[in-house]
Amino acid sequence: RFSRVQCVISGLRVRPPHATPAVCERRSRDSISCQPAGGPLLPVPRALGACSANKTCNIIRSRLPLASSTYFHTATVFSSQPSSITVTKEPDALFQRVSLLVKGHDKSVLDSYELFATMAAKELGIAISKVCELPKDTERFTLLKSVHIFKNHRVQYEMRTHYRFIELSHLTGSTAQVYLEYVQRNLPEGVAMEVTKTAMEKVPDHILKPMWEEDPIDNKLSQG
Amino acid sequence: MAASLSSTASARLLSSLRSGSLSRGLHVTAARCKNRAARVRVGKGDRPLTYEEALPPHHIAHRKGWLSQHTGNLRGEEGTAERTVEDVFVRRFIFGTFHGCLANELVIKRRGNVLVVCALMLQKLQPQKFYFLIGYSETMLSHLYKCPVKLEVQTLQDKAVYKYL
Repeated sequence: RFSRVQCVISGLRVRPPHATPAVCERRSRDSISCQPAGGPLLPVPRALGACSANKTCNIIRSRLPLASSTYFHTATVFSSQPSSITVTKEPDALFQRVSLLVKGHDKSVLDSYELFATMAAKELGIAISKVCELPKDTERFTLLKSVHIFKNHRVQYEMRTHYRFIELSHLTGSTAQVYLEYVQRNLPEGVAMEVTKTAMEKVPDHILKPMWEEDPIDNKLSQG
Repeated sequence: MAASLSSTASARLLSSLRSGSLSRGLHVTAARCKNRAARVRVGKGDRPLTYEEALPPHHIAHRKGWLSQHTGNLRGEEGTAERTVEDVFVRRFIFGTFHGCLANELVIKRRGNVLVVCALMLQKLQPQKFYFLIGYSETMLSHLYKCPVKLEVQTLQDKAVYKYL
């Protein structure tokens, strides 16, 4: 019998995927103090000289190959505190199969997410039984191109949904909870969606032995 | 929204093969046959365009990315219209709040409950004003939509020009 151990793994170094080509990145210290208050059109070298007191600004500037760009430091929303570990005496649930179906519009995002999920499962020691790519679904519809009349001129739109299927086998309930929570917290923005199906293993005691193996004579005597 | 545009055949070409006839070809097209959605027509070469504006919408999954990312358009998912309306409102709101400062279209992402708006701005205002407007729009939008709204802003000197049309 397993006792249920609940814990959340925080600090795993697997980097979650993100969908867009990272238009905006957040820096720990922005270069706002470098920017002169009056004119926004000062060239880069002068701005570098102006912030000589702030050493990290220079480092940030030198990394950027293009013209000067600044990042605005805003409050972090996604910071989560690690939850405490609790131990209970109830027996842990056992899952024969945990299957994740990930849907998205962009195949490359699903590729990187699959890499992330399989790497996380390997690090946690979860057996991965199947990783496959289901054929994509295309939803097409044809509309009239014009607002009024012109029935012969139409416009066709389509929406493609790509899938990834990851199946993990023989997990405990706490492992599944930890893994799913980690993997779901790092879902890329909107493009991938997850549907989890779990299969339970449970054999009741009264089914373990068939009835005819027990003594039939005793039963007849007790009934008669 | 993920959608790719392809036009049905809109031109019919009739060609007569008789050597004696004067008409070689006949185009029968209505006035509204060409696609004009999200396309910039070719001009004199003095109009600067960003990468986003220069590419037409049928390049969306191939050379362009998605401007608004949510699960509403996936098969078996709900909430398409609500997300679209929210997106339109957010775009107009930010366009009006930072008037003249936007360098490119907004990128709107939804991660769980959080609405993340990524914007590229020009350095037209002072940073203090930028901070105030960012905080104002974050607070207003989060009160309107009852979810945490986060604005990630990156500023540039000038618009990044990809092409002149």
